[in-house]
Amino acid sequence: MSVSKGRRAVIVGVATSDYPKLPEMSEHAVHGQAADRALADGGLTMKDVDGFASTGFFPMYATGVAEYLGLHPTYYDETNAGGASFEVLAEHAAYAIESGAAEVVLITYGSIQLSQMGRRLGTGGGGGAGFAPGPAIYDALWGNTLVGSYALAARRHMHQYGTTPEQLASVAVTMRTHAATNPQAQEREPITVEDVVSSRLVADPLHKLDCCVISDGGGACVMTTAERAADLGATPIYILGAAHSTTHHMNISAMPDLTVSPAAQCGPLAFARAGITPAEIDVAELYDSFTITVVLTVEDLGFCAKGEGGAFVENGGLGLGGHLPTNTDGGGLSACHPGMRGMFLIVEAVRQLRGQGGATQVPDARIAVAHGTGGMLSTGATLILGKEEP
Amino acid sequence: MSERWFPDEMPVPAVNAETNGWWEEASKHRLVVERCTACGQTRHPPGPVCPRCRSVESEWSELPGTGTVFTFTVVRQAFIPALAEQIPYVVVALDLDGAGGARMVSNLIGIDPADITIGMPVEVVWEDMGPELALPRFRPAANPINPTHPDPKGTTEP
Repeated sequence: MSVSKGRRAVIVGVATSDYPKLPEMSEHAVHGQAADRALADGGLTMKDVDGFASTGFFPMYATGVAEYLGLHPTYYDETNAGGASFEVLAEHAAYAIESGAAEVVLITYGSIQLSQMGRRLGTGGGGGAGFAPGPAIYDALWGNTLVGSYALAARRHMHQYGTTPEQLASVAVTMRTHAATNPQAQEREPITVEDVVSSRLVADPLHKLDCCVISDGGGACVMTTAERAADLGATPIYILGAAHSTTHHMNISAMPDLTVSPAAQCGPLAFARAGITPAEIDVAELYDSFTITVVLTVEDLGFCAKGEGGAFVENGGLGLGGHLPTNTDGGGLSACHPGMRGMFLIVEAVRQLRGQGGATQVPDARIAVAHGTGGMLSTGATLILGKEEP
Repeated sequence: MSERWFPDEMPVPAVNAETNGWWEEASKHRLVVERCTACGQTRHPPGPVCPRCRSVESEWSELPGTGTVFTFTVVRQAFIPALAEQIPYVVVALDLDGAGGARMVSNLIGIDPADITIGMPVEVVWEDMGPELALPRFRPAANPINPTHPDPKGTTEP
């Protein structure tokens, strides 16, 4: 589809809600707080919104949030791709805006997972076999868990490529370094590789500090046309390219290759659609449910060859002076992970491109990638964002 | 009844038209994989249609019950309340001989987790969870016939 310059989809407003602990707030209130802040950030109000997207863990979820927000949208979307959902929703919104189906799309996320369920169910992730729907019983009945599935992938990667626990740990160390400068981050105390590999094993080879934190929180973004953004006097952030993919549902045993995530499909597609190469990315916001998730993602997006992810991330490779400054807010490993963290990736990527990154601002960041991963490495969604008109 | 490893408190699987046959075979201690009778493609978990040729015709193809460890983890935190007493236990993803590349998640028992290696040969051992439910678990192969796994794609019928 050829798109006139004026109708190009852009992000004009982003915000996070308060986080990481919100014992006094309802889930809808988290959506509402983030929505109000993102609209204000973009110079818009709820009256301007004709499109709405959100997702959660029951049917017609977005409809419920829209009612709470007082919206009667004529475009809405609640595609659920787990942790990759919000990158998919933003891609869909871009198509809707560019086709003329919507003018202003508000996308919101809210979760009170920590306050509602506590740590145990959170990191277990569909832990109880009794909760496993349909074919997922073929993994759960033998006591496999969400962490266990990622551990199976990590072990296989270590076996095939010689990736070490210390290399995995270095992902967590860098995220904590970034979180130390984020006053909202859930964990801010600096850690070392030794701290990670000596923390207790949850499911070998993943230690407690290889796993994300469990948080309350949310975020929102507002998308519209480049023309509308110019009228608003907003700083537009362009959607340069986007793509998503899936290889299996909730059984890690059905994953075609445990060392290759869906990013290997949607990453190259998104780069091709954007007309750029991974080398042109200045800053990355990558889903970090577990340290292995990041290692697989940097390989599959093409920042290094398959099997070289361990070497790529160690020694501060993902830090501000490294190969690929990543998760500048501290990521899900340290800052905030309310269950489906994808919205946080978009918010932080936009802030970086606007030069609002604070202590972890990447100098002169022009192009960013946000990549979400959902399920048992089941879904991937890549958004490539730029500050300049393509 | 067989030796037991997991407690009675573990939930029983919700069986449907697609999986009922697999569980019936398992209750008779027959390890099977669903095989498309039109093109021979295997699939696990069982499903309604062949992902390769779209045929809905399939059979339960009995496997020899041997295979190798593709990857493993030692679960050390009891996210599943019924398994609190079983911690630590080993979850494996297996390449099963004759399964045509379809992998299966199970448990490895009877071995110190420190001694597990990827590629090690294993064999099935059945646990009767009740009169109509048996689960295949695996232990190190007593007499590995094919430790080098000469038929990794399982193209040869058992």
